[in-house]
Amino acid sequence: DSDMPLMEESEKLRFGEESSPALAFEKDAFELTVEDVYDISYVIGRDLLKISSTGEEVSDLQFRIVRVLEMFETLVNKYNLSLEELKMERDNLKSELDRIQTAGPNQLVVDLTDPNRPRFTMQELKEVLQERNQLKAQLMVAQEELQLYKSGILPQAEPAMVEVDLETPAATEHSPATINDAKEEKTTIGKL
Amino acid sequence: MAKKTYDLLFKLLLIGDSGVGKTCVLFRFSDDAFNTTFISTIGIDFKIKTVELQGKKIKLQIWDTAGQERFHTITTSYYRGAMGIMLVYDITNAKSFENISKWLRNIDEHANEDVERMLLGNKCDMEDKRVVPKAKGEQIAREHGIRFFETSAKANINIEKAFLTLAEDILRKVCDLTTMSFFQSQHQYFYLSHTLTLFFKIN
Repeated sequence: DSDMPLMEESEKLRFGEESSPALAFEKDAFELTVEDVYDISYVIGRDLLKISSTGEEVSDLQFRIVRVLEMFETLVNKYNLSLEELKMERDNLKSELDRIQTAGPNQLVVDLTDPNRPRFTMQELKEVLQERNQLKAQLMVAQEELQLYKSGILPQAEPAMVEVDLETPAATEHSPATINDAKEEKTTIGKL
Repeated sequence: MAKKTYDLLFKLLLIGDSGVGKTCVLFRFSDDAFNTTFISTIGIDFKIKTVELQGKKIKLQIWDTAGQERFHTITTSYYRGAMGIMLVYDITNAKSFENISKWLRNIDEHANEDVERMLLGNKCDMEDKRVVPKAKGEQIAREHGIRFFETSAKANINIEKAFLTLAEDILRKVCDLTTMSFFQSQHQYFYLSHTLTLFFKIN
């Protein structure tokens, strides 16, 4: 028992000179490659050969060690593949992000397949709303006239003064000269 | 015997943050009803309500604006035609009150100089959720020399009063203008002020 540490010491020295397979034992577990696993297997295999006794117990142990090393190989392989996949995924996302960002910080990237994507300009919306409100006002005027006509207040010869101011916001600046125009407008609405 | 449906047309505008209850305030006034479901106003809408003040039939065309920033360019183009503007905030929403100064700046920027303004602190029925004290509303109104009411479209508090007061204030302004001059003869439409864009029929 007491000479065990000495043995380890001498082995280390020997492998150190060769400067190869045994180095795999020094590596960080997460940095191991399949080649390192093969190096480790090589070293363990070589050490097993040095054990002179050839009993059944030893061969069972050898078999288990080989099995563990195979499992180790699979795990290291799998780990490295996953890592590689994640790196690729990251790079893809990075380049996608770059593509989006080149559109500018204040620009929107629109998915053309999205049925709910924005597709009308503010000007178009403005016009649609103006038209809607105009029609709504006309409907109100018509309803009012109908009400008056039904109640017999409205004689057919003389139209009632019904007016809803529908100037578009841009046209709200009036000059006194529009008084007459306004009168005409009222008459027209009355006749409708 | 031709009967006109109104003597005067006043154009009013409702502004304020999204969700403070502008549409509900207007719906309560125009239809005396209240709806709890929140439907964001798209751009701009309007309602008509005729009221009688000082023996005159006044048709109020009340424009209801979307509070959302994305409709800003559409809504601000309607400021110019307004004779009265109601600024609405929500007493349970501090941000909507902070933004009142922003809405006031918008008025300065886009509305007529002589526009009549009014501040409303809506949802005053929700006392347990209040975060804006009444005194703060009163203070900012005083600072800007405008009227202030706390309202509730849901509980029908001060809604009619607010609209009628705003209409009265505009009417007073209009009458001052008519006595000043501008009119030509009786039974005529008088152009009062090109900034008011208003036609006035005197009997």
